[in-house]
Amino acid sequence: MILIDSLSYSSKLRYKNPEEKFVFAMSSLVICVATKSILAALTALIINGWLIIRKGGIPLSYYVKYLLVPLVFLFFSTLILLVNISKIPLDAYAIPIGEYYLTSSLSDMYRGIGLIVTALGAVSCLYFLAMNTPMTEICEVLKRMHCPTLFIELMLLTYRFIFILLEVASAILTAQKSRLGNRDFRTSLDSFGKMVSILFIRSLKKSTHLYDAMESRCYNGELNVLRDGSRSVCKEIVWIVLYEMVLLGIAVFGF
Amino acid sequence: MEEIILEARNLYFSYELSDKHSLQGLNVKVKKGEKVAFMGANGSGKSTFFLCCNGIYQPQKGEIYFKGEKIGYSKKELLALRSHVGIVFQDPDNQLFSASVKQEISFGILNLGVDKITAEKEVQAVMERLEIMPFQDRPVHALSGGQKKLVSIADILIMHPDIILLDEPVASLDPKHTSLVYRIIDQMTEQGITVIMATHDVDYAYAWADEVVLMHEGVALCQGKPEDIFRNKELLRKTNLEEPTVLRLYDRLCEKGMLKREGNIPKTLDELEHLI
Repeated sequence: MILIDSLSYSSKLRYKNPEEKFVFAMSSLVICVATKSILAALTALIINGWLIIRKGGIPLSYYVKYLLVPLVFLFFSTLILLVNISKIPLDAYAIPIGEYYLTSSLSDMYRGIGLIVTALGAVSCLYFLAMNTPMTEICEVLKRMHCPTLFIELMLLTYRFIFILLEVASAILTAQKSRLGNRDFRTSLDSFGKMVSILFIRSLKKSTHLYDAMESRCYNGELNVLRDGSRSVCKEIVWIVLYEMVLLGIAVFGF
Repeated sequence: MEEIILEARNLYFSYELSDKHSLQGLNVKVKKGEKVAFMGANGSGKSTFFLCCNGIYQPQKGEIYFKGEKIGYSKKELLALRSHVGIVFQDPDNQLFSASVKQEISFGILNLGVDKITAEKEVQAVMERLEIMPFQDRPVHALSGGQKKLVSIADILIMHPDIILLDEPVASLDPKHTSLVYRIIDQMTEQGITVIMATHDVDYAYAWADEVVLMHEGVALCQGKPEDIFRNKELLRKTNLEEPTVLRLYDRLCEKGMLKREGNIPKTLDELEHLI
């Protein structure tokens, strides 16, 4: 089972209304991205972290581990703003290397750090949603928002297939390993290639079987299923509105 | 005369790009409320026949009759057939498509046009009956093989079919889940559902079935009472099957003069013990 998926099922916030969680996460994300306010992004990062760890009961180590994934990516992508090679030293710092300087301006540094914090704040909003809301409930919310049915059904089936194919891939890899399929780099590559091609064939077969099984239960082109999740609570809605207003206030008037 | 609920007449079916018929002139009759075991070697056509009964495959030749009426293949006719004839697939991963247990079970009944409140009640009832409640909140992909099998049976039971086709329902299940599945099957027959099962378990088929159909290369070699079918060693050899343990033991004890061949032949080890 993919870790983030299993976390969403074990979170204490799982049974909170999915629409509330969706609106909370999305509006915070929009405020962070649209205003690009460092303070608002930091507030979102802290509040989401507190909700995920304290209220949701997700271990801190997992949250940090997941935040490190975009952090590494962000660090390398903003490197161009944080580090320049120039003959003229700029105002933030300048390390001489022969005739050149490893340097950056204060405005570039501010932009770079701002970009990292904003992106982290936005990612924390998505993590809040992903770590506390199972995929099926997110799809339900999208359905109620009148997203195209075809898109939602494809999402659900893809989600289900990810796990089936991961299971098959894991079984094939184990079988290959048991027969020295990863003896050296060359054989490992060969085994991997074979596994991918078999996986492709199996996925086609599985999808045919799955479609047959759905047809056998009177499938008429639309996935009619009962919704999971709970009702919205007035008090929670008030808290969300208040929080978003404060976040917007920080973004507009704060920093 | 007992009502024939399902009948296959001279069925022929072959898969695409295959030069061999999977079904080649299959003739079978199933009476209402009966427990029928379909047995035979792998590739003998059991699963193909089940898929034909549900209208998933359309035979190239021959007819299937449900409650005396020839089944049609228009969308409307297929929906009507599938609301009465349910199939539980051998591999639950080929059947379960939803992410959550509740959604999975509700799919079939909602497709029948039942309103959501009734469907919700039905889902709860079937989950309680099949002891699914303890893992109802878990995602389908996190369930064990046995739990997936229970959900796949619940998928069909909730539709209240007249016939349930079970394709090797206990394949790769542990003993606990095997006995649980068998108990559920007993409940089905108590409710009057006609249960047709593909199985390799001769001991279970001998004790459970009212009738046994022996399949070989796409035809039904014979159909009859288990005590008659399992006595035919030639047919058993041809279909890669063995004599049930109880029957073999009973015969040996009779041969050695420890038992007399009178009355009913025991169906289970308990019955044999009682006889001894």
